[in-house]
Amino acid sequence: MNLPSTNVLIQVIIVGLLTGGVYALMSAGLTLIFGVMRVINIAHGAFLVFSAYLSYWLFSSYGLDPFLSVIVTVPLLFVIGVVFQRFLLARVRNEPGLMVLLTFSLALTLEGLMGAVWQTTGRSIRTWYTSEVWKVELADLTLRLPVVRVVGFVLAIVALFLLYLLMTRTDLGRAIRATVQNKDAAQLVGVNVAWVQALTFGIGLATVAAGGALFSTIWTFNAGDHEEWISKLLSIIVLGGMGSLPGALIAALIMGVAEAVAAVVMTSYLSPIVFYLILFVTLILRPQGLLGTVIRKG
Amino acid sequence: MRQFLRWWPVPALLLLLIYPWVYREPYFHVVGFNVLLFATMATSWNIMGGYTGYKSLGHSAFFGLGAYLVAIAANRLGWNPLWSAPLLAVIVALVAMLLGWIMLRTTGSAFVIATIAMLLIFRLLALNLRSVTGGAPGLSQPLPPWTPEFSRMPFFYYMLVWLIVAVAVSAYIRRSRFGLGLLAIRDDEGKAEMVGVNTTLYKVLAFGISAYFVGLGGGVWSYHATHISPVFAFDIIIGVEMILMTMLGGIGTLWGPALGAFIYIPASDLILFQFGSTTLHLAILGLLMMVILLFLPQGILPTLSEWLEKRRTPRAAHAGARTMAEMHQEKAESRADEAGIVIIQK
Repeated sequence: MNLPSTNVLIQVIIVGLLTGGVYALMSAGLTLIFGVMRVINIAHGAFLVFSAYLSYWLFSSYGLDPFLSVIVTVPLLFVIGVVFQRFLLARVRNEPGLMVLLTFSLALTLEGLMGAVWQTTGRSIRTWYTSEVWKVELADLTLRLPVVRVVGFVLAIVALFLLYLLMTRTDLGRAIRATVQNKDAAQLVGVNVAWVQALTFGIGLATVAAGGALFSTIWTFNAGDHEEWISKLLSIIVLGGMGSLPGALIAALIMGVAEAVAAVVMTSYLSPIVFYLILFVTLILRPQGLLGTVIRKG
Repeated sequence: MRQFLRWWPVPALLLLLIYPWVYREPYFHVVGFNVLLFATMATSWNIMGGYTGYKSLGHSAFFGLGAYLVAIAANRLGWNPLWSAPLLAVIVALVAMLLGWIMLRTTGSAFVIATIAMLLIFRLLALNLRSVTGGAPGLSQPLPPWTPEFSRMPFFYYMLVWLIVAVAVSAYIRRSRFGLGLLAIRDDEGKAEMVGVNTTLYKVLAFGISAYFVGLGGGVWSYHATHISPVFAFDIIIGVEMILMTMLGGIGTLWGPALGAFIYIPASDLILFQFGSTTLHLAILGLLMMVILLFLPQGILPTLSEWLEKRRTPRAAHAGARTMAEMHQEKAESRADEAGIVIIQK
């Protein structure tokens, strides 16, 4: 245990908030998919790593900037999501337990394929701005903010705002929200629930593709890492309340700060444990999460 | 024929007893040991995932915990794993019950998440508590005392004993009042609670029992492997394989999980042999799982018995016998009479 000075602590909290913004984008699709389908997409972490690899491939082969690679990865993952939901998940929709296992089998398949294509050594993208740091003078303390984290945060907030507009200002968004609230009632008033579910899965994967592009500029990635990432993202959406987008944003910011502080106070190796401990405490004290509603089984 | 169907475990057991003497290569002994190990663990997982309906994706946590407890006891206290594994697995079961008491407040998807998180906590602790666990490089154990000639055979017979115990426990639970309570929880937890099943106690107990044989298996495995590390002992894939075998054989059935292990382990060994140089074997495992989930979601045994019944029914109906639906209804009513419950027709 080593207690940091106030200066360091403020610096750490701000970097934690910046990271939290990226976490929010990465987990937005997961909570959206759960809200509409009541299924946890265990493959979300694998798709995150997969889209990071795609950005890496576009960067190393064609010199495309990772932030711009979303032009390719977002539509691609959208299509993959719609196809997977329509042709595989929808076939077993009656059993939530089977659906979870099916998404897990997809994660495993992706991990195996990614490992075969890109080997099992960690990859990272090094652009000209990767190690750039912005110095911000605030009164008597100097903050050193990594450029990729600041840009990543801003882009994540922009993407989340676009998602917010989609959910509140379009017919599709209204149909999605209606399905979240009550699937049967939505069906009764003329919402094509089967297509809403497929499109939501596609949108969920599209957001993770955007998240993956930011991810690829900040962290090293490896095919086997997806287990750890899905667990972090699941911790976030459980804390926020499963199915709640604003909840996921708040929880992601909290987790980002908690992890950053833990990395300074404990060791950085042990800091991910903060996620799982917060998850456990949430499950004990408030299983429905911060902004979630109680869902009764059956 | 019916007599033979009843007594099939006897010839099966005889075949298993002579197997190591027929196939004398150490390789066959290792595969045989793995089959029995996973058959035991899948049978154990099924008590929670099959009977009770709570599908844990984190049972590798108990596997790893058992492995580490046995390895630490062997190194520090000189305990022989062959008797310390079943003993220390009691600790694993108690830990599982304590954690289960917390995690079983959730249902469905949230429970699955909690079990994955539990596994990752254990893995992080094993990686970081270096003074106890040896950190990332892991721990070594004393080698078994018997001669290399016999190297794997004792492990084979030892695990065979525990498979029999695990199946016996699973069969006993299935027929007991406790087991009926577990099935009731799986079918409708709210109603089970209403008719007086202490659901929390039942679930926590089932979770503890299902962790026991997995912890034991981990302990034996660590002795068999002689060296353990967090990445292998707390590998999520081990838990997933238990699920896969159970679903392949028939989830919620008595013999399904063991049958699944007898098919899956040799098959996956072949896959690993063919594609083990890359991670492609993971992709094949994933695709295999997808195929089973899509085309054989009930597993081999239930599908087989359904098929047999279908073949029998037309002939029986022709002979003026009652329809299956009628028979089921009557059976349910007579059972309900025994239990003093009135079935209300919809």
